[in-house]
Amino acid sequence: MKELFPLKQVNGFIFSLLLTVIALSVYFMDLSFELGMTILLITAFVQATVQLVVFMHAGESEDKSAIYTSTLYGIIIALFTVFGSLLAMVWGYM
Amino acid sequence: MKIDHSQPLEYSTEQNKMNILGFWIFLGAEIMLFATLFTSYFVYEDRIGSGPAGAEIFGITPVLFETFILLTSSFTIGLAIHAMRIQRTKAMLVFLGITLLLGAAFLGIEIYEFTHYYHVGATLQTSAFTAILLTTLGTHGAHVTFGLFWGLFIILQIRKRGLTPETANKSFIFSLYWHFLDVVWIFIFSFVYLKGMM
Repeated sequence: MKELFPLKQVNGFIFSLLLTVIALSVYFMDLSFELGMTILLITAFVQATVQLVVFMHAGESEDKSAIYTSTLYGIIIALFTVFGSLLAMVWGYM
Repeated sequence: MKIDHSQPLEYSTEQNKMNILGFWIFLGAEIMLFATLFTSYFVYEDRIGSGPAGAEIFGITPVLFETFILLTSSFTIGLAIHAMRIQRTKAMLVFLGITLLLGAAFLGIEIYEFTHYYHVGATLQTSAFTAILLTTLGTHGAHVTFGLFWGLFIILQIRKRGLTPETANKSFIFSLYWHFLDVVWIFIFSFVYLKGMM
């Protein structure tokens, strides 16, 4: 039975639960918008990294540089799309 | 077909390696797809017209259940892949089954949530905000629905053929997909729900 629950994955799961609880503090505690967003940004991106590395085995195979490159490319385009649009369509008019 | 026994089964042939790399490239495109949805959401978040705002319709309880259920299912499918690598086919199928049950539970709560939105007057036509909210959540939910069928067929195939380089490869790729859906949900949870209720 024990060999079915590798420590790395169990720890990854506990860590991701912990990150979720930390993220929840923005709901249950009365924080400023800036502080709340900072907490959420950190917990969300750390959480995504845990999934990628611990659960998706991103760095295990010999083509890991191709995997990381393509994923990073997706993330960079994503960030440019989100923040570029916010800059052009929301923040510029506040 | 050349099988490399020094590699885990899902990586054991050249074709398998290519399939996995190809799926990562697909996930890169999926990141961009969800990025466009999040972009539209952030741009239209405050355009609520005469409809309700996020804080008025979001409830913390269903969101918490959805989040913990999906996180746990991401963990159990990780265990399924681990069981697959140590050749424990039966344990793998059990973990896969639990994963799909959790996925179905997630979907049930999301459907409940959607009917709730409908009843409080937040429909696809209400405002720019509700339209993009439901489109973003719906796209994620559609992915989960697709994943349920995909996973079910993989379970059936493993029961029929056992663990071969092909079925192991398919299972591994499915696990990548499922983890990815969890990652997307983390962002929905953080930047749609928690941000909206903050």
